[in-house]
Amino acid sequence: MPLFQSPSPVFPAPSSARSPARGWLQRLYDDLTGVLGRSPERVVDAAPIAPAVEAATLQEAALEALPDPLLLVEATEPNDLTGRRITFANAAARELLRIPASGALLVSAIRHPEVLEVIDESLFGAIASETPYEPRSAQERVWRVRAAPLPGQGRSADGEVTRRALVHFSDETDARRAERMRVDFLANASHELRTPLASLSGFIETLRGHAKDDPQARDQFLRIMTTQAERMSRLIDDLMSLSRIELNEHIPPSGACDLTLTVLDVADTLRPMTAEKGVKFDLKLPKRGEALIAGDRDQITQVVQNLIDNAVKYSPSGTTVAVEIVTGLTSEGATAYASNAQAMAAAGGGRLSLLTPDRAAPDAYVLVRVADQGAGMLREHLPRLSERFYRVEGQKSGASTGTGLGLAIVKHIVNRHRGGMLVESAPGLGSTFAVYFPTPARSG
Amino acid sequence: MMTANEHTLKFFGEELQQLKAEVARMGGLVEAQVADSIRAVAMRDVGLAQLVVGRDQKLDQLQIDIEKKAIRMIALRQPVAQDLRRTVAAMKLSWNLERTGDQAKNIAKRALVIADAEPLTPLTRSVERMGKLVLARLKDALDAYTNLDLDQAMGVWQKDQEVDEHYNSLFRELLTYMMSDPRTISACAQLLFVAKNLERIGDHATNVAEMLYYEVTGEEIVGDRPRWNGGEGADVDRGFA
Ligand SMILES: Nc1ncnc2c1ncn2[C@@H]1O[C@H](COP(=O)(O)OP(=O)(O)O)[C@@H](O)[C@H]1O
Ligand SMILES: [Mg+2]
Repeated sequence: MPLFQSPSPVFPAPSSARSPARGWLQRLYDDLTGVLGRSPERVVDAAPIAPAVEAATLQEAALEALPDPLLLVEATEPNDLTGRRITFANAAARELLRIPASGALLVSAIRHPEVLEVIDESLFGAIASETPYEPRSAQERVWRVRAAPLPGQGRSADGEVTRRALVHFSDETDARRAERMRVDFLANASHELRTPLASLSGFIETLRGHAKDDPQARDQFLRIMTTQAERMSRLIDDLMSLSRIELNEHIPPSGACDLTLTVLDVADTLRPMTAEKGVKFDLKLPKRGEALIAGDRDQITQVVQNLIDNAVKYSPSGTTVAVEIVTGLTSEGATAYASNAQAMAAAGGGRLSLLTPDRAAPDAYVLVRVADQGAGMLREHLPRLSERFYRVEGQKSGASTGTGLGLAIVKHIVNRHRGGMLVESAPGLGSTFAVYFPTPARSG
Repeated sequence: MMTANEHTLKFFGEELQQLKAEVARMGGLVEAQVADSIRAVAMRDVGLAQLVVGRDQKLDQLQIDIEKKAIRMIALRQPVAQDLRRTVAAMKLSWNLERTGDQAKNIAKRALVIADAEPLTPLTRSVERMGKLVLARLKDALDAYTNLDLDQAMGVWQKDQEVDEHYNSLFRELLTYMMSDPRTISACAQLLFVAKNLERIGDHATNVAEMLYYEVTGEEIVGDRPRWNGGEGADVDRGFA
């Protein structure tokens, strides 16, 4: 079935500057002629035998294959709701709206009032316009719907004048989600800061009041207040470093960094904490100078520090935290290294990549792996670990000192370094976090 | 040549289709009202809340139009059997949609109060989640109506319980919050009203599914509504009716 019965070109080139929203239609048109490899006029030149038919099928095939949902709508008069019909819906549109390729009533496909209005404007006002559209289904998706009038009025079977419009959907789900995350982030950050602040103010009040002359209570309160103040400053430090990292996430790091040295440094600074907790380190590191990566030394230190700190923090006393560095891996090798995925899955956990690098030309990575014998986590927590402020509920240790920002910071730094990040964990089997970074090209 | 009778039949079919299209369009407006009212609560958007309250009149008008049309069709064309059921179903549906719209208006009014109080972000997110669920059910019910999809209608009807369970758990969450911090009581109470309104909208969606079933089969769905009953929420919420 041809889309258009009129003698005008099957997919007429939109005349420019009809309206501001014209640009997308022009682009779509360009895409389509790109798909066809030649303009419709040239099709006519090159194929003298039944050119219109061939062009029509080609154009239809192109519309059909377009990844964006696309509709052609026909209408008779403004107050005839049943006169508005979808004469063509491409594969993507059929899936989105659950309609047949042609013949569906417009209102039974789309009820959204703004979308109907935009389509009406094209049909009866000859104006191209657009609106956001959320189909309200379980999977949250956000579309931008653009409608444009199509030239060439025709007549329907019973002789009525018909008008036509092209309706195009583009997916804007990701952009909307990012915006939402920003808003939530601000709300969460202020909430997290307010809790310790409220407790500080409360204690100040008490110290001024009935605890004024009670030295024992005063000491106790001051100790709590110190803890709260420390918590606030940790939060602010983490927030500031997160915002700094985000700011230059797109700028590749300069400098070089020896991972072996970094791990040794971090292990040294954490010794007091491990001694206090009764946790041992088991370090398996290559010689100095062998685990070199291109990277910002301070940021890499932050990554290693956060991972080892978590491992120690979320482990009971008497256990061992193993830190290992492996060089000369491909990205696939890094993802699969020492996988214990099946056992983890069987115990209710799993193995998950939290960040995968884009394929780099020299596929060589150095991996740092931190494995603990702590309580481990259920599978459902794993994808959310690098979310800001996400904390697994019900863990005994660590709750008081965590900010929930550590792994978010880790992920951003690793991403800036074009590296990857993995987690493997299950209740009772402990947790393993691994990050891997590209090795610098061997040139000079 | 068509006989006079065939003419009438064809004519009635077209009128009925037009009527159903109008109900579908009204359904779209109601969905938008519900979605916007939930968003007004979630985003503390006073302007949007006022918009929702203002738009409610349009729904009332649409409902009256549909009812008039349906009554005229019944009186002039005297349809029988399925044609009659369809006409009546369209009219009943418009009543239901109009009342759903009222609930959205109520939510929007609460949003105005909530926007003035301290933000309770995690709770607001829970209410928003319940809102999304209810909205999805309303969409499914209306989709079922426009596509005459009995399976989908049954799905909506059977999942009636989900909304109730959501309401119940939200109710507990709100209570815990209020008890741990009495300063939040009035804001929490507003959210509780919103949850109650949402639960009603869920009921209306179930009604729509039942009407569709009746329209197509001429029979009521057999069996009780699979609804949640009992528990502490059930007693207290009567007080908010
Ligand atoms: N090694 C681990 N073992 C168990 N749970 C962990 C481990 N590492 C991280 N987690 C969980 O992931 C959450 C997020 O980690 P992170 O972003 O570093 O925040 P936090 O400041 O709480 O340590 C932690 O609160 C904890 O629940
Ligand atoms: Mg941490």
